[in-house]
Amino acid sequence: MTQKELHNQRLVREAQAAVLRMHTRRHFIKESAMGLGALAIGSLLGGCMGKSGNNVTSGVEFDPARPLLPKAPPFAGRAKSVIYLHMAGAPSQLELFDYKPELMKMDGQDCPPSLLAGKQFAFITGVPKMLGPQAKFSQHGQSGAWISEHLPHFSTLADEVCFLKAVKTDQFNHAPAQLLMHTGSARLGRPSMGSWVTYGLGTENQNLPGYVVLTSGGNFPDAGKSVWGSGFLPSVYQGVQCRSEGDPVLFINNPDGMSRDLRKASIDAINEANQQEYTTYQDPEILSRISQYEMAFRMQITAPEVMNINDEPAYIHEMYGTKPGKATFANNALLARKLVEKGVRYVQLFDWGWDAHGDNESNSLNIGIINKYRSIDKAMTALLLDLKQRGLLEETLVVWGGEFGRTPMMENRNGLQNPFKGRDHHTEAFTIWMAGGGVKKGFSYGETDEIGYYATSGSVEAFDIQATILDRLGFDHETFTYPFQGRPFRLTDVGGRVINEILA
Amino acid sequence: MIVLISIPGILGHLHPVIVHLPIGILLLACLFELISMRPRYEKLQPAVSPMLFMGAMGSVMSCISGYFLSLSGEYDGSLVASHQWAGIATAAVALLYVFLRNKVAIPLRLSVAVIVCGLITFTGHLGGSLTHGSDYLAAGWTDVGGSTVKRAPIPVIEEAAVYADLVQPVLAEKCYNCHGAGKQKGKLRLDQPDFILKGGESGNTILWGKAAESEMISRMLLPVNDDDHMPPREKPQLTAAEVELLKWWINSGNNFTQKVKELPSDEKMKHILLALQSGDNGSTTALAADKIIPEAPVDAADAVAVDKLKKAGVMIVPVERNSNYLSANFVTAANGADSIIALLSPLKKQLVWLKLDNAGITDESLSLIGDFPSLRKLQLSNTAITDKGLSKLQSLPELQSLNLVGTGVTAKGLQVLQQSKTLRSLYLYKSNVKKEDYAGIKKMFPKVDVDSGNYVVPTFMTDTTVVTGKK
Repeated sequence: MTQKELHNQRLVREAQAAVLRMHTRRHFIKESAMGLGALAIGSLLGGCMGKSGNNVTSGVEFDPARPLLPKAPPFAGRAKSVIYLHMAGAPSQLELFDYKPELMKMDGQDCPPSLLAGKQFAFITGVPKMLGPQAKFSQHGQSGAWISEHLPHFSTLADEVCFLKAVKTDQFNHAPAQLLMHTGSARLGRPSMGSWVTYGLGTENQNLPGYVVLTSGGNFPDAGKSVWGSGFLPSVYQGVQCRSEGDPVLFINNPDGMSRDLRKASIDAINEANQQEYTTYQDPEILSRISQYEMAFRMQITAPEVMNINDEPAYIHEMYGTKPGKATFANNALLARKLVEKGVRYVQLFDWGWDAHGDNESNSLNIGIINKYRSIDKAMTALLLDLKQRGLLEETLVVWGGEFGRTPMMENRNGLQNPFKGRDHHTEAFTIWMAGGGVKKGFSYGETDEIGYYATSGSVEAFDIQATILDRLGFDHETFTYPFQGRPFRLTDVGGRVINEILA
Repeated sequence: MIVLISIPGILGHLHPVIVHLPIGILLLACLFELISMRPRYEKLQPAVSPMLFMGAMGSVMSCISGYFLSLSGEYDGSLVASHQWAGIATAAVALLYVFLRNKVAIPLRLSVAVIVCGLITFTGHLGGSLTHGSDYLAAGWTDVGGSTVKRAPIPVIEEAAVYADLVQPVLAEKCYNCHGAGKQKGKLRLDQPDFILKGGESGNTILWGKAAESEMISRMLLPVNDDDHMPPREKPQLTAAEVELLKWWINSGNNFTQKVKELPSDEKMKHILLALQSGDNGSTTALAADKIIPEAPVDAADAVAVDKLKKAGVMIVPVERNSNYLSANFVTAANGADSIIALLSPLKKQLVWLKLDNAGITDESLSLIGDFPSLRKLQLSNTAITDKGLSKLQSLPELQSLNLVGTGVTAKGLQVLQQSKTLRSLYLYKSNVKKEDYAGIKKMFPKVDVDSGNYVVPTFMTDTTVVTGKK
């Protein structure tokens, strides 16, 4: 060490000593007071942070070792299971349930500027023409519900279902609107309704997943798999996508040469290793993993059995209009009934192909979409009747709807006339129906104006529908929360009203 | 958007804030005045004057803000007038006291202090009566048990007047406090038909025939935490039955005179009316028929017995959190059901729902559950149950829903269930009941929803054909 370095070192030490000497008792006490204050505020704010609020806020007991065990809802619910039929792409309310004779009179006229001022549409530009209903309507049942000729089977159930005719959304693109409908947020990352429900209620059959997703129509919904994701909830609550074609769950069968005993032995070994890992790290997610392996092993037996619709009698197939070996809405509807019968909590169906823009034949209201009507009409009618005759409808809530509605105007993509009849995305008012588990029968809530553009009464939004579904299952949507990133989250965020008017 | 700021409005609403300040200061000043007579507290003497000054100023401010608040017209005129004059008197005496304190003899000074205390108490009481209702103070002494009011039974409900005997007592108990003679919040007064018809400032208080759209009902149906919910969340709430009653009344049209028997009433309403007849305001039993679980409390089930069932694969779950009533589901214990069903016996009082669908049970095991006192829903679909087993179920006192889908029961066997007063739904799809028997069964069970199943969804030509653009 050179002389200079030594000198420097001494200088530093001297400076440090000088600082310490400046630090009088008075300073110490003063700073301690601040520090104590900081400590105090930390403990005061502690309630808002971390996991301390976990079981206090939602009251849901979460056992990481057995995350899917059935749990009691806060109050006895009217429904035990949910079947949600989502028509991805958004079906037109004006061709199915919302009868608007006045719109027919305006068919072909220019859209009045009052409807366009300040509005943004997905595809409509300039001044589009109005488009009258592309269907004949008639009244059905004692309730006198208007249902179009496109649903000849479903119209016989007019007195079984409850229509919400003025549903509103604030998203005019498919993916965000679907996310909003199922996760309560138009952006990615929130848990889906099925995840919330299985988190809160568990599931009755430990050999099957609690939340099953079935898709048809040739494509997944635009929002992708996030729409049945578990977001910030433990990952065991995400929807399990099953297939109605081929193996119900990919890789569910043991590969050639792997016997069930060997499979059991390997799962036991993996779980043993995981158990040791848990003893070391105490991470509850490891327990979840162990139980998932065990459930998967049991599912290898039960899932193929439940997911196989071939053991259903011919007249049931006839009733639903199934197509063996295909991923059709009818097959999925029959599967949904079988799953609910076996104690699955939440069955989510997505049927793709409803985006009736009219820019090609397959999505035109006068050709392609008619085939979509035909593909669901018989099946959803059969589903409701089959649930009813098995005594399951009184404890199952069935919901049908899209992510938004369709405009009373004909779409004019790029300012040009589309070659086929079609409508653009419409957020102001569309129709959803519910049936079963504690909602009124043969009832309709909400009305739209004479061309079906705006709601005139009984307007509800996604949060209200979610609040109502949770209510029927026995939850208060305002207190059913999960702590994440320092605050309790809920499905309905800061909105939602239980639609009391439709409760039975 | 232009926000109109009304200074008198703001000042008026500050009255409750301002008013407590002079009350405290003046009381303390008077207290100091009195106790400083004792040599020990002599030193408090100089504090009295400035305190009195502050208190007097504060009371003047209170008078001004109180005057503006009274302009809102939400309060009962005569009570406001006495409160106002008492307040002005307090302020005047306090001011005189401040300015003449050093010019009068000590005994007079002390008596003025006592007078000020008395005035403050009197004025304060009147103010309290205005905000909390004139019976607020007395209620604290007389009604310790809270707000569950047991009404006098109505001897003959059919003859009772809908408004005078049923509706008015509800309004009196839950609404008059803020919308009565004493106070008219939102300019609404509900204590006489004329005032009800006049409505409040938001209009549409009652739309005859349209209960759901009437402001009165729609506000009651808002979530309790909503700012517009009525009654405000800290006040006693209407029971579900009371809301139903008001809806029924409003839907019957402009009606202050009709009797119960003159209005149509559905099943639900009949239940509520019957409860009212027995003096129950609906907080306990009126909507019990609507509730899916029994209301009467029950002891917790034997934990050992529950554990045994769980080990056997039976799902035992409380029907709701914090309830001792249980549901049991054999979905994952269907195969050995007959051997473990006996384990249910210790749970007989708690069991409300029992799901035995597809379980391998026999008629014999039904004798075990034939006397479960709370059982409301029994699902026996696809089991080997026959008429013999059914006969064991005739004494279930609470049974509401019975699922016999895919069992061997016949129309003859169902006769034993005729006695049940509670049964509401009966599922008979794929049972041995013959098609021609259903007419008789429906006659046998006029109040029960009998589901025969066997629904057919016919196949139309359109179901199997595909529309294409090509002609």
